[in-house]
Amino acid sequence: MKSKKVKIFFFVIAFLGLIIFIPGRMFVRHHVNQKTAVTDHPLKCTSCHLYTSKNKIVSNLINEDYYSPFNIAVSNDGKRLFVVAQDTGELLIVDAESKTVVQKVKVGVHPHSVILDKTNAFAYVSNQWSDNISVVNLATSKVLDTLITGNGPSGLALSADGAKLLVVDTYGSDLSVIDLDTKEEMKRLRTGSDPTGTALSPDGKKLYVTSRRSKIVPYGEPLVSDLTQIDATTLRVDEHKDVEEAYMMENITFTPSGDLALMTLIRPKNLIPSIQVEGGWMMTHGIGVIDQNNEGRIIQLLTDQPNAYYSDSFDIVVSPDGKRAYVSNAGADKITVMSVDSIRAIIKETPKEQLKNIANNLGVSSRFVIDRISTGANPKGLALSPDGKKLYIAEQLEDKIGVLNTETLKMETAIDLGGPTRITVARQGRRLFNNAGHTFQNQYACYTCHPDNHEDGLVYNMAGKDMGRNVTNTQSLREIGDTPPFKWNGKNQTIYKQDGMRFSTVLTRTEQFSYDDLDAITAYIKRGIKYPPNLMYNPHGKLTESQLRGKEIYNRTKDNSGNVIPENNRCYTCHPAPLYSNLQPADVSTLAVSDDSILFDTPHLGNIYASPPYLHDGRAATLEEIWTIYGEDNKHGYVNDLTKMQLNDLIDYLKSLGGPEQEDEGYQEQQTASF
Amino acid sequence: MFPKNTFNSYLIVLAMCFGAIGMHSCKQKPLTHMIVMTQNKGDVESRDYSKGDKLQYMSGSRIVAMNTTTPNEPLDELTSDFYSACSPKISYDGNFMLFAAQKNQDDVWQIWEMNLHNKKKKQITSSDHNCIDPDYLPGERLVFSKEVKNKDPKVDTEFTLFSCNLDGSNLAQVTYDPSTYFASTVLSEGRVIAIGKELWPEEKPANFMIMRPDGTKKELFYQMEQDHYITSGATEMNNGRILFVEANSNNQKDLISLSYNRPLHSEENLTSEIKGDFHAISPYHDNKVLSSYRPENALHFALYEFDVESRELGRPIYEDGENNILEAVFVQKKQRPRKLPSEVDLNVKTALLVCQDINFQYSQPTDSTIPAFKASKMEVLGIDSTMAVFKTEKDGSFYIKIQADTPFRLQTLDDNNNVVKGPSSWMYLRPNERRGCIGCHENRELVPGNVQPLAVTKEPIPVPTPKQMDAPKRELKM
Repeated sequence: MKSKKVKIFFFVIAFLGLIIFIPGRMFVRHHVNQKTAVTDHPLKCTSCHLYTSKNKIVSNLINEDYYSPFNIAVSNDGKRLFVVAQDTGELLIVDAESKTVVQKVKVGVHPHSVILDKTNAFAYVSNQWSDNISVVNLATSKVLDTLITGNGPSGLALSADGAKLLVVDTYGSDLSVIDLDTKEEMKRLRTGSDPTGTALSPDGKKLYVTSRRSKIVPYGEPLVSDLTQIDATTLRVDEHKDVEEAYMMENITFTPSGDLALMTLIRPKNLIPSIQVEGGWMMTHGIGVIDQNNEGRIIQLLTDQPNAYYSDSFDIVVSPDGKRAYVSNAGADKITVMSVDSIRAIIKETPKEQLKNIANNLGVSSRFVIDRISTGANPKGLALSPDGKKLYIAEQLEDKIGVLNTETLKMETAIDLGGPTRITVARQGRRLFNNAGHTFQNQYACYTCHPDNHEDGLVYNMAGKDMGRNVTNTQSLREIGDTPPFKWNGKNQTIYKQDGMRFSTVLTRTEQFSYDDLDAITAYIKRGIKYPPNLMYNPHGKLTESQLRGKEIYNRTKDNSGNVIPENNRCYTCHPAPLYSNLQPADVSTLAVSDDSILFDTPHLGNIYASPPYLHDGRAATLEEIWTIYGEDNKHGYVNDLTKMQLNDLIDYLKSLGGPEQEDEGYQEQQTASF
Repeated sequence: MFPKNTFNSYLIVLAMCFGAIGMHSCKQKPLTHMIVMTQNKGDVESRDYSKGDKLQYMSGSRIVAMNTTTPNEPLDELTSDFYSACSPKISYDGNFMLFAAQKNQDDVWQIWEMNLHNKKKKQITSSDHNCIDPDYLPGERLVFSKEVKNKDPKVDTEFTLFSCNLDGSNLAQVTYDPSTYFASTVLSEGRVIAIGKELWPEEKPANFMIMRPDGTKKELFYQMEQDHYITSGATEMNNGRILFVEANSNNQKDLISLSYNRPLHSEENLTSEIKGDFHAISPYHDNKVLSSYRPENALHFALYEFDVESRELGRPIYEDGENNILEAVFVQKKQRPRKLPSEVDLNVKTALLVCQDINFQYSQPTDSTIPAFKASKMEVLGIDSTMAVFKTEKDGSFYIKIQADTPFRLQTLDDNNNVVKGPSSWMYLRPNERRGCIGCHENRELVPGNVQPLAVTKEPIPVPTPKQMDAPKRELKM
């Protein structure tokens, strides 16, 4: 009797299980298919509901706090390394011999670079997300002072007499000159767009500042980026040099003799239909050489090869004897070792009329590249020991400092900074995002078009249907996790679809991400990419009077004549806080003749100030142009009754917009992402 | 605790679970220490891929296996039930072998697959024409060469690349031009490299061509020196080198190494100091390859180990006095190549081609007194006739929509319809393929300048073909 009851019990359980399981599984299958746009994605609830969870407890459990070393400096005696740990906001002091971290000094938010003064008494650390410099007393390993800079301080240089600190302001696109006696900013010099790199000539007379974004040019015209040449004695801008067809000039250095300055760069192919990767049709990577003996003419050389690309060149250093240069290829996990003499020979023999062609020749690298050395994940900043025998490499996503023996060109045991050993799903996603290994022949990473997880300011001919149609402005990836659908036409309901099969067919043109990798990159893009704080237009969380007036206009329901503005023509209807997007498609009357007939996905407006050009095809160079030139029909919001002052106020308000947290909770210093 | 029946039921369920786990974990492990190779009694001198007009296959050959730990034991004949068998290729998991074989002397060659554990064989192709030179593609497919009868009487036969599933289904033609393609090898990056030779209107030297497995983006990989010819397929090493055998003008056959990264300008002869002939090679251990080598004045090829770094030939691994030892392959698990996505859409009948500037020249003429002949028109040549002539844009660009899977050549014309440059090599575009070129440039290592071609601001020029654009597609059969 008892046995019968047990059997019945198990039968009922099994029956109920089947009733739940079969339709439940069908429901889950349908749900996963809908989200991923494929029919064979594993039914893993964790993919979306754990790895992309916004719950703080869950997020803390599944993620880790990595150091993410970004830049390095070496002491004069070579015994100490000073490592910028970007994600923890620290300066790590490392004993180079024992390869151990001996001190951690808390600095500002999202530090970028570090430089030492001549006597190694102080280290200056630029804090890109707190708009200041931490002055670290190296005797006590404590922050002695904090110097106020422009917006987004990054690259650093000291004047020849050591009296002035020259700070590149990335977000402000200028250079702050700080008097180290008074600790005040003396002046600010205009540079190119989104600068980071700077180098002072060995004679102390000339300073270069490299920019990363191109100047805004109408679509169809080749991109041109700015290399700013500054007289380092008078601290005046000498010249804005045009660097044609190149951008992302991350860093620059001089040879010890000062005859050449070398900078990293990317030569994108945004004007060419993106119909193939073969033959360098999407991206090429290389260096720019500024020949000091020839009126500063700029020669560009590719470091890529015909079937192999070394994406996202980041830092460049030259050996003390001036014979070798080293470039970190952040997207290829490589160091490219180059012969400077061979570069000199190429420059000497290249006539002016050949410069353009040589910049597109993948075969030239075989003449000056000595070797390619594999490193840990995402090599960024480089520093040579004083004797030039060791090259230290900030392996950002390895949490290590790679050590290259420059005599044998072999990697030695890396310096483990002591970060988490576990690679979380989101960290793996960040590695994938920054690595070009998932593109045919490693030609570009996600990062290449989305530097700093943002956008590169270019408009691409993505050749959707035919080759000359549907050019598209690159969109920022910051805080997009809660703003589906994706793409300008909103055709991708999830990041899974965006980065899935079609992504590999039309963009990366190699094997698609495995589903584990797709989980990882989705987790990173959805939750790992934060806005930098909008210190430029909203530094204290309080709107200015102009911005408050602009906010009223943004939220208005009546025009200047008192007439009711139709609901669907009010700013806030389509761009409501906190996301500033209603996530719906809209017609804003900006379709070009060359566009397919589509509605546009409504983009969010967080940190919109940092995303020129504007509109889906980048036709508006500034926010103003959206309404002054391209908004005459009042379809992109009702604005034509606004006075010039009112439009200025509206723009001021739009520029003040940051992330949702900023709107909800008032400004607070953002913590770095733990991914 | 439980009644006996229930307890027994649980035991059975548990046993089944363990059984299932056991079955799962008993998946075939790759074989080790095995080398498979082709043995052939006949003359191998005639194996010359430069002669693309007839089948150069080894009649009467057989595939044997040797265990490297017991080299003195008799060889294990794997293909005893075939009249001829050759071209062994090992699957990525190291468990299976593709090969080409003739069941009987007068049969056509077909592609077969063998399970190396139990030697069970299955026929993959059942064609009326010879199928040879198979290699594994990722995604349970293979690529091979299939003989097709050419309609043009001047060209007897040609071999076209095809791919299909490992069960022979889903046959797809890969190449579509009047050329012959042999000895395909799938590279780790996913593309197929094959020996290609144009046959019409006149025969041209064979070169290595590379393309995606669906036939798109076909381009030159390596160009032979004059009077040299390729005598083996390509082999990819772990260090990014591509190796093959090439005969020079004295008919000495040497091992040649290319850098995958820069194949057109990195040729190195690895065996110029070694007298004798090499026949075929394949990866072995580390920097070593298995090579079929015949010392000077010897009658037969034997199996040797060759160190690519030191360029030293080791002692023979296997030799016998009667047979040539050819096409040796070490059985081992290896990295699966990338499975490249395909842009081919068979529902689309056309493809698009854009050219940036037909007058592009890498080296600008230095002598300004020499008039520069500028082309202003493009002629698209089909097999039998001109398909189209059209004016190019001011910047020298053009943009055409052309019938897919149709061979064509291009030549540039001046205003008076005189030929300025061309005709080009044969090209074809797959359905829905989109392709770009810089111009009629002589430097194949150039990337395009970042310039929007004027031509793409307009609709593409339709290029008619002798055939009806809407003609139904022929269904492919083995």
